[in-house]
Amino acid sequence: MCQMFILPIRFRRSVERTAFDLVIVGGGAAGLRAAIAAAELDPDLTIALVSKVYPMRSHTVSAEGGTAAVLRDYDSFDLHAQDTIKGSDFLADQDAVEYFVAHCPQEIIRLEHWGCPWSRDEDGRVSQRAFGGMSVKRTVYAADKVGFHILHTLFQTSMKYEQIHRFDESFVTSLILDGGACTGVVAMNLRTGTMAAIQGKATILATGGCGRVYEFTTNGFIKTGDGMALAYRAGVPLKDMEMVQFHPTCLPGTGILITEAARGEGGVLVNKEGERYMQRYLPGKMELGPRDILSRAMIQEIKAGRAFEGPYGPYLGLDLRHLGEKRINERIPMVRELAEKYMGLDPVHELIPVRPGQHYIMGGVSTGLKGETALPGLYAVGETACVSINGANRLGSNSLSECLVFGAACGLAAAEFAKKRPSYPRGATAREALRKEEARVFDGLLGRERGKETVAGIRVEMQQLMERDVGIFREESALADACGMLAKLRDRFGAVGLADKDRVFNTELTAVLELDFMLDVAATIAHSARDRHESRGAHSRTDFPQRDDANFLKHTLAFRTDGAPRIDYLPVKITKWQPAERKY
Amino acid sequence: MADSEVVFRVSRYRPESGGRPTFQEYRIPYRSDMVVLDGLNYIKDHLDPTLTFRWSCRMGICGSCGADVNGRPRLTCGTYIRDMRKGAVTVEPLSNFPILKDLVVDFDDFLDKLASVRPYIVRKDWGDLSKEYTQYPEDVDAYRQQSLCINCMLCYAACPVFGASPEFVGPAASALALRYIRDTRDDGAAERLARLNTKTGIWECTFVGECSVVCPKEVDPAAAIQTLKFLATTRHMRRLLMPGSASR
Amino acid sequence: MTVHEYPARRRRVWWLRNRRYLAFQLREAGGVVCALYGLILLNMLIQLRDGESAYAAFLNLLRTPPMLYLNVVLFALVLWHALTWFMLIGKAQPIQFTRQPLPWKVVFGINVLLWIGVSGAVVYLIFGGM
Repeated sequence: MCQMFILPIRFRRSVERTAFDLVIVGGGAAGLRAAIAAAELDPDLTIALVSKVYPMRSHTVSAEGGTAAVLRDYDSFDLHAQDTIKGSDFLADQDAVEYFVAHCPQEIIRLEHWGCPWSRDEDGRVSQRAFGGMSVKRTVYAADKVGFHILHTLFQTSMKYEQIHRFDESFVTSLILDGGACTGVVAMNLRTGTMAAIQGKATILATGGCGRVYEFTTNGFIKTGDGMALAYRAGVPLKDMEMVQFHPTCLPGTGILITEAARGEGGVLVNKEGERYMQRYLPGKMELGPRDILSRAMIQEIKAGRAFEGPYGPYLGLDLRHLGEKRINERIPMVRELAEKYMGLDPVHELIPVRPGQHYIMGGVSTGLKGETALPGLYAVGETACVSINGANRLGSNSLSECLVFGAACGLAAAEFAKKRPSYPRGATAREALRKEEARVFDGLLGRERGKETVAGIRVEMQQLMERDVGIFREESALADACGMLAKLRDRFGAVGLADKDRVFNTELTAVLELDFMLDVAATIAHSARDRHESRGAHSRTDFPQRDDANFLKHTLAFRTDGAPRIDYLPVKITKWQPAERKY
Repeated sequence: MADSEVVFRVSRYRPESGGRPTFQEYRIPYRSDMVVLDGLNYIKDHLDPTLTFRWSCRMGICGSCGADVNGRPRLTCGTYIRDMRKGAVTVEPLSNFPILKDLVVDFDDFLDKLASVRPYIVRKDWGDLSKEYTQYPEDVDAYRQQSLCINCMLCYAACPVFGASPEFVGPAASALALRYIRDTRDDGAAERLARLNTKTGIWECTFVGECSVVCPKEVDPAAAIQTLKFLATTRHMRRLLMPGSASR
Repeated sequence: MTVHEYPARRRRVWWLRNRRYLAFQLREAGGVVCALYGLILLNMLIQLRDGESAYAAFLNLLRTPPMLYLNVVLFALVLWHALTWFMLIGKAQPIQFTRQPLPWKVVFGINVLLWIGVSGAVVYLIFGGM
């Protein structure tokens, strides 16, 4: 007995509207902050927030340790800037860093006013803790769930503004280009299985990073570099893509992140001999050095045979036992929960196994200070963008601050851009773009029969080769292999067919679209890495072990072509801090 | 490392074909440290790419992966296969929600309910915006527990009242309302309690308590709702007996 | 294209799914059953009004085994109600003198002791003293 219950999907008012002043792709910290900034600027602005997941699922939610700002007398903007620039191995654009550090405090206070549950000192002021690469305690925290609290605070606060129209579970497949400008996006609504053109006078890409191009990553499933690929395909270059951050303390097997705050609160790293091995690599800062140095040290300990062996390979130990149960429960409770749940051990009494894993990408869509790209009407912000304030290595707790500061700045800039344009973009161009995308996605991709290539097969091969050849230590032949293999995978991708032929909520189709994006992004990483003949920050070449300011004090730009990415360069902006030896 | 196999019985529903949900069985290799989500991903990657489910962070913080596993609402990323009493693992979409496809349910209703309790700081006077508001550690402790809600919807799936009356505001929305009411920086208790002090608000709750049992973050929404009942009642009494008294 | 959402799954006999649901139903059903005791008390008043022999007959009825068993069952249900409420009090209405509210188990314990104390006093008043 076939019972057909036809329940029409409830259409929100916003779906009827398809032209907005501002279209924001991505509902994480950066996207939400931009939306709120624009909404506060002018209540008449219409803002579309288009996200392939519900905003509270965005990967911001998993950030643990904290967010940095100068709030106390013992600190100064110059010091925060200096720490950031040195941390970046002098690849950061110093004008952007100066803007950044000067605006962090007001963002922390803004969020506090919006209800973010920052951890407090006894006197009622917002607490700050030590973090890697920071000279003083400037990392504001919320136990060890800072990303969760920031995201939920922003998402819930965004509900105040009726002019923010959410398009939840809408997957953006391409940008709409009209007369050399970006005038919106084409997005597939997963619920209805239909595509729509969402026009915007300005468009902001805030889709996060691309960690899922690697096999072992802290990143969630959704981090597939969508925004980066969208901009790249529209002709905007991706900057410093070779700068990939590997976080030193990830759980073996799952790759789940154990926050740097564990070390900020006093945790230490030991090898199988019980030795605090960091004294051989960085006696000055020890476990609170920058992440690139710590990750390399771990690999070297592993190569020297001083690591523990486990079912998922070699690992080092994170020792929190001397902190005591009370401090652990108060400052880093989630570390304890994760260790108990996913490793079956209690860090109050045992070492936590850790090893380095991909975590963040300093590189991204090349933007100016307020998120503007080379394409008029197109902006990018957050991990998707590369302003750059992180250069060749990001200090922990700077990225959430970056999302907030530049999210606000970009939201305002894009809103101002939109306000200067009285009329909406041309409907005919949008309809044409929609038709082309429907043909490409529904007839082209969805219609393909399954052959010998599968989306999972190609994805795993890509992830494994990136892990092997474009990891923490790189050299010419491996990088050349990677570039070649990625080109082959791109060809083989053409033979991927889908088993799921439905249009509604087709996550096999979205996986194919994501893999398409990831192959583009991975190629920019491999090619950018191959062409940088030096070691700087997170980019370590065993064949070029020294930093080479004379030839490489510049940003890498990767442009899309029909074949391999075209690599070009852009000078670094230097204001007050002359590049010096990066000693800790 | 696969020492053995495990059978997954997964509920399937294709919206474009209609009909009703049916079960499909899959045999997958088993490792002792696998969670249910690992099994679902294995099926999608190697056996049946049409299987559809939500997931993202795989560490129990994004709230995407809720499902009924062996009859109980759980996060598939946090449920070890070894903890299932019998061999077969049955995975169904969360109860009490309309099914979109396979294990994916429609919970947009919740977002409307959340918006209706005004889940943001409400203040008459925002004061000096250049400094943080003073809040002591014990003030943060007062609302921290309710602030941990990851919106995973397990509590709604467990609640028989929501199952029978879908208009019920529900555990998570109520807990988040209390989170803001208890926040010393907020002045919005009156508006929120007005919304909650209704037939579809907290008074639908008969304190079954299963919501708190299944909550993966120990938010204890059941206690939050009973607290709201106390608060709503005392406010109501105060205003009856002393009209014009303070709103807190 | 019409898209079909399948309506929410709600089991009719949801309360058999696990122990806690069953305990909840017993608690709620118990409330109805306890109302029965009100009827017994009402009946006692009626017998009292009807004179001494009627009242004496009623008291004899109360001493029979079936009535005793009924009272035991009702007492158990009332006890279950009281205990579940006492367990909730500490969490629903936190009592706070210091930085943290009193743990719910402490509030539960205090309530149980008070209850025993008051019950003891009532028993003494009825059977002891006067």
